[in-house]
Amino acid sequence: MLTRGLFDKLLWLALLVLAAALVLVVVRAAGSSESAGSKVLDKAMERAMTYQSRVALIRELYGPVETLLQAGQDQSALLKLAEIEKTYPGEAHGQILKGSIQARLGAIDEAVASYATGVKLRGDYVDKENPLSRRTEIGRVVESGLQTVSARLAANPDNRTAQATMKQLYYLQSRLAGGCE
Amino acid sequence: MKLISLASLFKSRLGLVGLSLAILSLLAACKGEERSNPVYRIGYMNCNTEPETIARFGPLTAYLSEKTGLKFEAVTVNTEDFEERFNQGEFAFTHTNSLLYVILKERSGLKLLASEKRGQFGARSAGTIIARKDSGITTLADLKGKRLVFGPFMAPTGFVAQYDLLLRAGVDPEKDLAYYAVPPGSYKHEKVLYGLLYGQYDAAAAPALDLEVMTREGKIAADDFVVLAQSVIIPYCTFGVGKDVDSKVVDKVRKALAELTPESTAEFAGERVKVLKAAWVDGFEELLDSDFDPLREMAKRAKMPPYEEY
Repeated sequence: MLTRGLFDKLLWLALLVLAAALVLVVVRAAGSSESAGSKVLDKAMERAMTYQSRVALIRELYGPVETLLQAGQDQSALLKLAEIEKTYPGEAHGQILKGSIQARLGAIDEAVASYATGVKLRGDYVDKENPLSRRTEIGRVVESGLQTVSARLAANPDNRTAQATMKQLYYLQSRLAGGCE
Repeated sequence: MKLISLASLFKSRLGLVGLSLAILSLLAACKGEERSNPVYRIGYMNCNTEPETIARFGPLTAYLSEKTGLKFEAVTVNTEDFEERFNQGEFAFTHTNSLLYVILKERSGLKLLASEKRGQFGARSAGTIIARKDSGITTLADLKGKRLVFGPFMAPTGFVAQYDLLLRAGVDPEKDLAYYAVPPGSYKHEKVLYGLLYGQYDAAAAPALDLEVMTREGKIAADDFVVLAQSVIIPYCTFGVGKDVDSKVVDKVRKALAELTPESTAEFAGERVKVLKAAWVDGFEELLDSDFDPLREMAKRAKMPPYEEY
């Protein structure tokens, strides 16, 4: 037969066990969310480190090109880029630098093609906040290109080179406006 | 002497007469076919050697025949003979450097068809004057009293552009250099660069395209040379067509050239080959005659054909 006292004792014991279990669950939950958070932090750190090392590598790799450009040696810079391209054919930065030189030397179709290739490979170059951003420079070429190339197309609608350049100009224009691929 | 009438002569030689008439009618038929299905000849300017020209442009010529349904034949022509042979009607289509296009346009009414695209400036290239990096030469003025090597005499970006650059910088190649040379024989462009690299000359006139191609091929390094001056970009090799060629034929050829892609192939010398790759060309572009004006200005200043003065 269960007495009232024994019943109370059992009740308190049950309450104690439940409270302990609750504390255990809460502590465990807090622990697991802490590790998930640190995982997120790890990934963000990893991304930042990858990005920083990419920027550092680019600065080192393309440093000689930048030096030639500062000295006004556009053609030598292009040759240096051609050499780098043999080792790093898919690197967007080389395409952007090439586009910049081609635009300066008056090869507009080729400049637009190089910029479009570079931006397709890496959107960083049209991102306002990015340290590698070339947004202003690309925007300027797109603006003048749209005028000259559309005039060429109006004079000769079948000109395939102008047609291809126009498509790339629209692509760059949409990326500058914030559009996706 | 026994006289025989013409009729009896014909009768006695009926077989022979019949055979002659048959041959005559065959000849007439052949002639008629030639008129209705003419052969269009394309004069290709030799860059180095005839076999190289045919290997490069034979597939392109075969492609034009396949694509247009017309018959084309490749003719190899040396630069100095080009104008004369074109004017003699030896070929109706031309594939030349841009200066020869200008000469034939000004003097013989050649019409512009399409221009070759190759390298970082597409259908254009530039002329550069370079020196070895360790030479101590840094400006065009430093070239006075020095040895300079040009490319071929008629080369727009191997001679004309550089001659003009020197004149405009106050250096008269005829008076101010120790001497200038043009390498003999074929592969002149390569000889120019190697001549400079190995110290035979102090400076060289090099097309930007050659520098780019030879750098990509690893034959030279970007750090070997310093670029002293560079011209504006001017059109590269160009297809032209005689003024009397049927406009429908011209349109077909222009369209076929514009439609060429790296995947386009043609049957040549018993195999199917990639046309653009064989020709060392990236594609073709329709330029305007006015795109050649910067070259015209250079040729005028340098007193080069078709604006020569004696």
